[in-house]
Amino acid sequence: MTTLIKLEDVHKIYKLDSTEVPALNGISLSINKGDFVALIGPSGSGKSTAMNLVGCLDLASKGEIYLKEHNIKHLSESDLAQIRGKQIGFIFQVFNLVPSLTALENVALPMAFQNVPRGIRLKRARELLEQVGLSDRMKHLPSQLSGGQIQRVAIARALINDPEIILADEPTGNLDTKTGDEIMKLLYDLNRKGKTIILVTHNPDLTKLANKIIRLKDGKLVGS
Amino acid sequence: MLIDYFLMAVNSIRHRKLRSWLTLIGIVIGVAAIISLITVSRSLESTIESQFEQFGANRIIVSPRGFQGPGTSSEGLTVKDVETIEKIPGFEYVVPGIFLSTEVSYRKEAGFTLVSGIPAENFEEFFVDSGVKLQQGRFIKEGDKFGAVVGSRVVEDMFRDKLRLGSKIEIKGQEFKIVGVLKEIGNSQDDNQINILLDTAREIFSKPDDVDAIIAQVKYAGDIPLLQEKIEKDLERKRDDTNFQVVTATQILEQINQVLGIMQFVLVGIAAISLVVGAIGIMNSMYTSVLERTRDIGIMKAIGARNSDILKIFLVESGLIGLVGGIFGVLFGSAMALIIGQFSKSAGFTLIVKIEPLILIFGLLFAFAVGIISGILPAYQASKLKPVDALRYE
Repeated sequence: MTTLIKLEDVHKIYKLDSTEVPALNGISLSINKGDFVALIGPSGSGKSTAMNLVGCLDLASKGEIYLKEHNIKHLSESDLAQIRGKQIGFIFQVFNLVPSLTALENVALPMAFQNVPRGIRLKRARELLEQVGLSDRMKHLPSQLSGGQIQRVAIARALINDPEIILADEPTGNLDTKTGDEIMKLLYDLNRKGKTIILVTHNPDLTKLANKIIRLKDGKLVGS
Repeated sequence: MLIDYFLMAVNSIRHRKLRSWLTLIGIVIGVAAIISLITVSRSLESTIESQFEQFGANRIIVSPRGFQGPGTSSEGLTVKDVETIEKIPGFEYVVPGIFLSTEVSYRKEAGFTLVSGIPAENFEEFFVDSGVKLQQGRFIKEGDKFGAVVGSRVVEDMFRDKLRLGSKIEIKGQEFKIVGVLKEIGNSQDDNQINILLDTAREIFSKPDDVDAIIAQVKYAGDIPLLQEKIEKDLERKRDDTNFQVVTATQILEQINQVLGIMQFVLVGIAAISLVVGAIGIMNSMYTSVLERTRDIGIMKAIGARNSDILKIFLVESGLIGLVGGIFGVLFGSAMALIIGQFSKSAGFTLIVKIEPLILIFGLLFAFAVGIISGILPAYQASKLKPVDALRYE
């Protein structure tokens, strides 16, 4: 089994004024290709910090993080951005989309940063929006979409560069149960098709679909 | 990719319409002021130049130094100086003239204007070589002792009743008959002038020997510098003083252009200040935009935008604001210059306003550059945001 992401004794310490606040205290974990990982913990557990590190959005204060063969601390910010764009698809809880762009343009945006020609981008974005059932909402602005539709657009966007990893941060946090279930089903289907899913949540119900559960408390792992 | 950034910029600018318009106004005013001032002062330059071309580059003008006013002192020019110059070979003719601002009346109504006396033998040549044509009537001939050739505005505006050929006007108690009317020259002083014979003027103004200016028409333009020097030398020797000046039309033109140049520099400098204020407006608006879109920046960075991408997105946006401001500024500036041209016409000075495409293009590029430069700091700040911090921002 291929290891996609590996954390080795990772610490993250935030500096607030002169005091140091530890958020993560030496966690080690690995995520393999095809996993459906649930990262769960109450607020303040270091869950968001862990997600940021796993998603290469932030660097560790101590310890090593590997994304495939790359040790991310040796990468420049631009390289990191490019790797994020290619390898990881992000779905956030709120404010997922760029408000001044249409659904179609939002979906196509990650490809723009990979210098893919506009025609190809828009064609692929259209296909993906059709797959998530939004073929009639392509020209709509995010403000004209419902919460569930926004999350579908975000999923389509996460898929456009065909990344191996989908990182979803409380993707159902703002949705009603029914819509939330639909989104979870989409994620589950993606996992079945071979995508590695990392789901960050505080809701234990959502961990049922996962094959691997990582529990965090006070910046430490508490059994998986 | 630039096309994407351009589309995003258009979107973002349209997204905050009111603020974009307010920001634009600053740039529009600055650019419009600069474009109109440059256009007007360049038009002024070329108008004056073309008037001088008419005036004849083949002339040397001798006048008392410091322009003490007509006949104020014994140091002025006299007929003796005219004789001195006439002795120098190389001139077609040498015309002494006297000028006096005086009261002129018509049917008991008084006006005040410049009356000039020009010798009968050169009267016609003098005007023809100046490029001034007759509108009606004829020039004064020898024997027309009390005839007058008047400027176009004398006939039109000077008196309540319009003058005609044959109308009788009174100068210093002496009646003159209008025998000719000149075509419009384009500046109010010349168009308001009344020209009579030199001998008559000497008589009624009691100036038997004084000369206010000597105009020497040169045969070959190439001789001008040499003749100018010769006049200076001979006059200095004969008069034993240097209370006179000898200038050519080209020199006068150069002096005027120099003054205009300074004026243009100062005015454009002042206009540039308003452009700086406009630039600060763009910067302010861009900082606000960066702040408002911090989360967007976070999202874009998460999905693969490099720092350079974010930098370009915001630079394109501020450049676009500058460019759009430039377009409106250039339009308003040109319109303003044309309006000033119209005003000048009714004020008695025919300013031919020429809109120069090169200056308009320069205005556009300049506004674009101002936009980009104003955007550098905000865009740099946006590009340096850490993705985590930007995503956490609310």
